[in-house]
Order: sequence, then C-alpha cells, then structure tokens
Amino acid sequence: MSVLPLDAADEVSTEPAPPTRRGGVPALLRRPGTAPSVLWLVFLVVASFTAPLWRPYEVARQDLANRLQGPSAAHWLGTDPNGRDLLSRIFSAGAQPLLASSLTVLVAFGIGVPLALIAAERGPRVERVISRLTEVLLALPSTILLLAVIGVIGVKIYWVMAILGVMISAATYRVLLGVAQSVRTRLYVDAARVNGLGSFAVNVRHVLPAMATVIAVQAAQLFGIGLLILSGLAFLGFGPAEPTPSWGTMIQTASQHIYDAPWLMVPTGLVLALTVVAVNELADAIAGKAAKEKTPPRRRVRVVASSTAAPADPDAVLEVRDLSVAVEDGPQLVTEVSFALEPGEVLGLVGESGCGKTMTARSLLGLLPDGVHVSGGSILWQGRELVGLPESRLNAVRGREIAMISQEPMVALDPMFSVAYQLTQPIRRFRGVGRREARTIAAELLRQVGIVDADRVLKSYPHQLSGGMAQRVCIALALTGRPKLLIADEPTTALDVTVQAEILSLLRALVRDTGLSMVIVSHDLGVVADICDEVAVMYAGEVVESGTAAAVLDDPAHPYTMALLGANPHVPEGQPVPLRLASIPGTVPPPGSWPTGCRFATRCQFAQAQCTVPFVSFPAHGDGSVRCIRVDELARENVTWDADVAGAEISAGVPS
Amino acid sequence: MLAYIARRFALAVGTVLAAVVISFLLVHATPGSPGAIKAGAGGTAAEIAQYNHQLGWDQPLWKQFADYLVQLVQGNFGSSLIDSKDIGADLAARLPVTGFIALFATILSGVVGIVLGVTAAVRGGRFGRFITSSSGVALSLPAFWVGILLVYVLSLQLGWLPATGYVRFTDDPVGWFTSLLLPVLTLTVGGAAIIARTAAAGMREALRQEHIRTLRAMGTPAWRIRYLHALRFASVPVVSVLGIQFIALFGGSVIIENLFALPGLGQASQAASSSHDLPALVGVVVIATVVVVITNLLLELVVAALDPKVRTA
Repeated sequence: MSVLPLDAADEVSTEPAPPTRRGGVPALLRRPGTAPSVLWLVFLVVASFTAPLWRPYEVARQDLANRLQGPSAAHWLGTDPNGRDLLSRIFSAGAQPLLASSLTVLVAFGIGVPLALIAAERGPRVERVISRLTEVLLALPSTILLLAVIGVIGVKIYWVMAILGVMISAATYRVLLGVAQSVRTRLYVDAARVNGLGSFAVNVRHVLPAMATVIAVQAAQLFGIGLLILSGLAFLGFGPAEPTPSWGTMIQTASQHIYDAPWLMVPTGLVLALTVVAVNELADAIAGKAAKEKTPPRRRVRVVASSTAAPADPDAVLEVRDLSVAVEDGPQLVTEVSFALEPGEVLGLVGESGCGKTMTARSLLGLLPDGVHVSGGSILWQGRELVGLPESRLNAVRGREIAMISQEPMVALDPMFSVAYQLTQPIRRFRGVGRREARTIAAELLRQVGIVDADRVLKSYPHQLSGGMAQRVCIALALTGRPKLLIADEPTTALDVTVQAEILSLLRALVRDTGLSMVIVSHDLGVVADICDEVAVMYAGEVVESGTAAAVLDDPAHPYTMALLGANPHVPEGQPVPLRLASIPGTVPPPGSWPTGCRFATRCQFAQAQCTVPFVSFPAHGDGSVRCIRVDELARENVTWDADVAGAEISAGVPS
Repeated sequence: MLAYIARRFALAVGTVLAAVVISFLLVHATPGSPGAIKAGAGGTAAEIAQYNHQLGWDQPLWKQFADYLVQLVQGNFGSSLIDSKDIGADLAARLPVTGFIALFATILSGVVGIVLGVTAAVRGGRFGRFITSSSGVALSLPAFWVGILLVYVLSLQLGWLPATGYVRFTDDPVGWFTSLLLPVLTLTVGGAAIIARTAAAGMREALRQEHIRTLRAMGTPAWRIRYLHALRFASVPVVSVLGIQFIALFGGSVIIENLFALPGLGQASQAASSSHDLPALVGVVVIATVVVVITNLLLELVVAALDPKVRTA
C-alpha cells in the first residue's frame, strides 16, 4: 500500500553507532528537524488520547447548515460534508492508528528478533532454514494478501495489523540477522562465552544492546509504514464504520469533494503526512545520518609562499621543505618535514603508526583526505612547486610523473571492472595508443611485474586475484604512465611474508632497471634496510633522524631510532640474537597533544629536563639530521636502548 | 551456475505454492461458505448446500486443494462467486493496466531519483542536504493524498491532464498514455525520493572507496571517476531498490487504481475483498505472487550482470 520498501533500513549502519549514543538525547536533537518532530509526535499522542476530554464537538454531531466550511472561529479546521467538526474528528481518529501501528511493530519485532538471535547462534544450518522461509514470506505480495485477509475475516483492524506484523517480521529478521551475526563474530562476545555466560545471557547482555540502534530505527520506520497502510486501508473503505472517524476515510471523503471543497483534503492529509514525516525524521536522527551526511567543507586551495625558490640541492628531483599538514581548523598532523630525493634513489619514511608518514606521502600527490590540507612548506618536483597547484595541474602530474601504490592491494582495484580495462584505460590516456596496442602494452607491463600468465590475469576481475597478484597489478597500473617517482605506502604490509619478499625484490628490480625514484612508507626496518638508500625516521609528525640508510641503521643517533632497531625482530646475519626484544613504553601521542621540545621525551629512556625545551635539528650522517638535544652526550656515552629498562613494567609479573 | 539457477527456480516455485496454500487455507478457515456468498443474502439453506456441492466445498480439504492445483496448472482460476465470470480472463485483462503503471512509475522514479541522488552526493553542501531532506519528506507522504493534490493542481487548476478514468490503448494510444500520467506521477513522488536516497548513499559510499583513490592517484578525469566508476559501484544497490520498488508499486497500485478509477488488479482485489469473492481473492494473490517472483528473478539476473563478483561466482 505504501511505497516504502522496508529495505530502506538496510542503509542503516549495523555498527552500534557510538557517536549518537555517547551524546545521548541532546545529540539526537542537534538535527534541525528532530526537535520539531519530537514535539509534534508528543503533541499528537497527547491530543489524540485526550481528545474525548477537550474536543469542542462530538464526532457524530452534524450541523447541516454549516457543511463543507473552511476554517472559522466556530470550527478551527472547518467542517465535513455532514457539517461535522474536522478538528474534533481528526484528533479523535488518532488513537486507533497509533495503537494499531504499534501493534504491527511489536509483532514484527516479537518474531524477527528471536528468529535473528536463534539463527545467529545456532549456525549456518538453522540460519539457512529460517532464511529460506522468510525469503518466501518476503516474496509474497503483502498488500494484496492483506486485502485477502480482510476479504476473509472482515475489517478487524487489530487482527489485520498483527498479520501485517507477521509479514513484515521477515524483513526485520533479515536486517537484524546481519547485525546479530556481526556482533557474534566480535571478539568480546567470544570472550563472554569463554567466561561461561549462557547463551541467553550473551544475547541479552551483548547482542541485543548492539542491535538497539537498528531496532529503534526500524521500529520508527515500521511505525510510519503501519500508519500509511492503515490509513490506506481506510481510504479503500476498510476502516472503522461511520460515524467513527478515521484519517483514511476522511481523505477518501475529501477526494470526492475536490471540486466543491478542496480545503477538506488539507487538514487530515497534513496531520497524517506530518506524523509520518516526523517518525521518519526520528528514524534518521537515531540512525545518526546527520553525522554521516555531513559533507566536508570544500577544499580551499591555499597557496603557501615557498620560503626559497631555488632548490638547495640541484641534483634532487624531489625536494620537500618544511612541509606541514593540518586538519582544517584542527591540529597539525605533520610539522616541518624536509627531505630530498635524487633520481634513482629510494627514500624510506619509517616510524610507528600515527606518525604522519602516510599523510606526508599522500601530500606529495595532493591526495590528502577531505578536510586535511598542506598548511605550510613546499614540495618541489623537478623544480616545480606542487603545493597550491590547482587540481587540474596536479591531475596532469598524477600517474604521468608521480604514481602511487597503496597499502591494501585487494581494495585498490575497482571491483566492477576487469584488470584489462583498468590497465588499458590509463595506457590509452597516457600513451595515446589504440585499444589493441594498449592491450599488448598491458600484457607487457604485467610480464614486467612478474606475472607469467598475463592473458589470464587481464581477463580476471580483482576479486579473483590473490593479494600478491593484486599488488603486482597495482604496480603495473602505476607504471602505465611511465612515472619518474613511485610512492609506495606500506606496499607489503597486507601481504603474506613470502609474498612480501617477492614484491620487495620486484620493486628493487624496477628501480635498478628503469631509474625510477621511490618513496617507500613503512614501519618495518627490515624493508628499509632491504631497499632504501636514504631514510627519514618520523615520530609524532616530524622527522627525528635522517640520513643514508646505512648510516642511520648502523649508527643510530636518535633514541627513537635506537628503540625501533631494538624492537626489530629481524637480526642481521652474523650478529647474536638478543635474549629479549626491546619495547617502547606507551604509544605515540595523538596530533594536538604533542609535548613541547622533544616529542619523544615522554617515552624516552634518556630524557632529562633539558629535553622539554624547544630546539632545532642538528646535522648528522653527512647530509642528514637528528632531532635530539642530547645527541652528543649519548654518542659519547655510547648508549644503547635497553630492553630491560623498557620491558621492566611489562615483565615484572612474568616468571622468566 | 546451473545449481544456482535450479535453486532459484525451486525457491520461486515454492513461493508461488506457499501463496496458494496460504490463501487456500485462509479461505477455508473462514466461517461461512462460498455457497452462502453465491446465494446472496436471501439464499435458503438448501440453495446454499446445493451451491456448495457444485463448488466441491463438501469434498475433503486435500481433494479440493489437489483439484484446485490441477486447474491452476492448466491456467484455470475458476469463476467468480458474484457474477460467474471467468476469473483468469478477467485478471489477464487487468494485469497490463497495473503492470504498465508500475513499470512507468519505476522507470520515472529511477531516472529522476538517480539524477537527484547522484547530484546530491557529488555536489554535496547545502544543495545536497536539501535534496536529502526533501526526499525524506517526499517518501513519507501518503500516496493517495499526493494523488489528490496532483489532481487538484494538474487537472482542476491547470487543466493539463484528465483527472480520472482509463482509456484503452487499442481505443486511443495517446489518451491511454495521458490517462496513466497522473497515477504514474503520483507514485513517482515517493518512488523517486526513495531512489534518490539510495543513489545518494550509494554514491557517497562509492566515492569513499579505496579504488577511487587509486583512480585519483592515476590522474583519471573527475567525470570519469564519478560517472563511470563510482556510479557503476553504486548501481547494484540502486538496481536492487528499483526492483523492490516495482514490487511495492505493483502492490501499492490498489489505492491508486481506486483513486483514479483504473480497471487494474488492485481494483479487482479490492472488489473481491469487499464482496468476499473467495476464488477471485485466491486468483489475485496467485497472480501477484507470480509477478513478484518473476521480478525477483529478473532482478537477480540484472545484479549478476552488473556485479562481476556475482557473475563469476
């Protein structure tokens, strides 16, 4: 009857939506439409259920002298064809649809929730049986079946609405099953089971609360659907018998008087429409759509004047100087990062997660996330300033001069298009060749990245590739524009260990054979030692140590680098295996809460009072730098990052 | 793939069978009997018994069901209790009316909804929010009320379209088309709103995907990213909702047919329901179920064609 598919509820996030819940009711009301909606619903419920107490006229009282009147002092909303007062009738008619729709909602969840819980708990076999049954129920034409029910049992509204609830329960089951299954796979539910909670208790304590948001959203939507169906039935003549008022019947009457009294359709229709709008608005508010749909401000292109125009290093293809990246109206993510890269060189950006490595790498292509921008410094690419370049000019650089391969090859390719399409399309654009030639080039590129059966891979879709194969395709894709610089953001992190080595040697071969320069982002010092010429160690948004890979790794000057090396499980050949790996206490402080002076001081074994005073980097490792105020002292004392000191807290209770 | 098709087909047949069983049981669970309905208010007990005997109502339930199924497979829906007309022929004449309304409304909803939704997602900002919130209002409006408003504005005030009534295609193709316009527009208001929301959500989701970033990193032109790659990604949910939409509009046509006096299936089910014409009720339920099942099958084929993951599975 209504044209509202229940599946609109599918859009609702199945996550427990913490943002709206944490804020409680006030957060819900932050949407502009929500407060009026709640007010209207409260008003409607109160006015409907108290209508017999306050209504100015009895619902059946006719005043044939004043038929089909517009609004007046005597009849605020006018009168119907029998001269009955619309205001009194509209609100007297409200209680029944509110109750009957609630019944539909209760029945739908009364069946849907237990079924979903059982299906999620009892495993695939039970789930399949229940799902097939609900699929059949879902495929039945509910409106017409409902009319058939009325044809058989007569106009028994509460029965009819309960049966509607049964039919709708199939839809609620389907949505809730998804939630229940995803909650069940979460670790804490397993933990609760291991701890001996019974299945009922697990459901009540863990699964149901996680479903609460989805249930609330769906309940509101179903309530609205119930109202529409109920009034639709009454509109068709399957409503309460005259003189009992109902919204649908009143709108049906209005439709017959559209020629002589068009006003008649306004009040009743408006009350019904407002109610359904308000209920759906409430559903949206609960679903937290406000947060999801908040579109970020359009990116403002800020032109940052570069401090010096001429490159300091005439040999460098890429020179990044004092680069800062910040959240729009928010904290800095990267501060004053500088490094340079010569042709054919590989630079490693290393550090723990959250140090700004990826942001630095992505800013090189102008591909920062929405709401994040370069707030200062310069990126000189072959003598050209990239910071502040308009999108169209940057687009000409992307792929053609600088290309990028990403962290997760499995999602980096478009799942809807074949590998052939995804490779030939940029080949044709970059190289101006025809379809057939582009395909030949694509196959060549695939062979170049070590894919033997190139023709089969070309015909494949991304989901048919393994992770290593997908990463090879991504590398081939990056090579389509014959770039001079490749940015590789954790290119091996998501891959199996054996595949990692293959991809690394492929990258090394590419650099050797093609003269490509590369910036490789990694948290793995093994990768850096393997492939990099230069390295920049990043901590909390800044470079703490840089220099040639050999110098930095063999003779680390900054305590953070020492700590990273101490924590690295890969031991170079010929060196003794340490008894215990070092660890770094604490975590990287989040952007916006970095300490002044040395940002690593809070976690450093060698920190002293002087470390909290602001200072600048010192030159080290030839062209490199180190940002530690005690660097000379530490070098004299020949300190090492000590596993025992760092591990003391952790290992205290563990017998060795 | 063959096993998949076989399973889908079995489910489809099962669904139709379930509809027959449910409506059959529903009819037999009632007090009263078809004989009493056929005989009318003044029928004597003897007349009722005779009618019931003619209709086979005194046979065991399983036999009646088996007989009905055999008839049904042969395409025989029985005859009306009210006017003894052949139900199958009547429904066959009505099916195209409802079918075309639902089809046109689905197509129009799809076109309008996709344009609005994609624009909302791509443009964002105030305009995007306006589309999202106004479609939230539009999908909440009762269709019959929207229909009355449209009749008032488009035919009474502006005189552009006929208010009600149906013109047969064979009589006057242009008249046929204009007689369907108002009902189709009415259903499109809510339908387009739902599609717009789905399309907007799908596009936003698509534009957040990692592979879109890969495309940007390759310097792919923005229009290509949006209207080829992101739209293709968003097309699966949109097409699914369009299918559901067609089913909902097909069922929802009851009210529209009542409002615009159109001789479709909805009108038949309303009439059968209020006159307790039991065989006609069962017939309508079966026909509607068949339409739903066929739509679902087609929908799966389209989704499979769109989504390589489904296609190559």
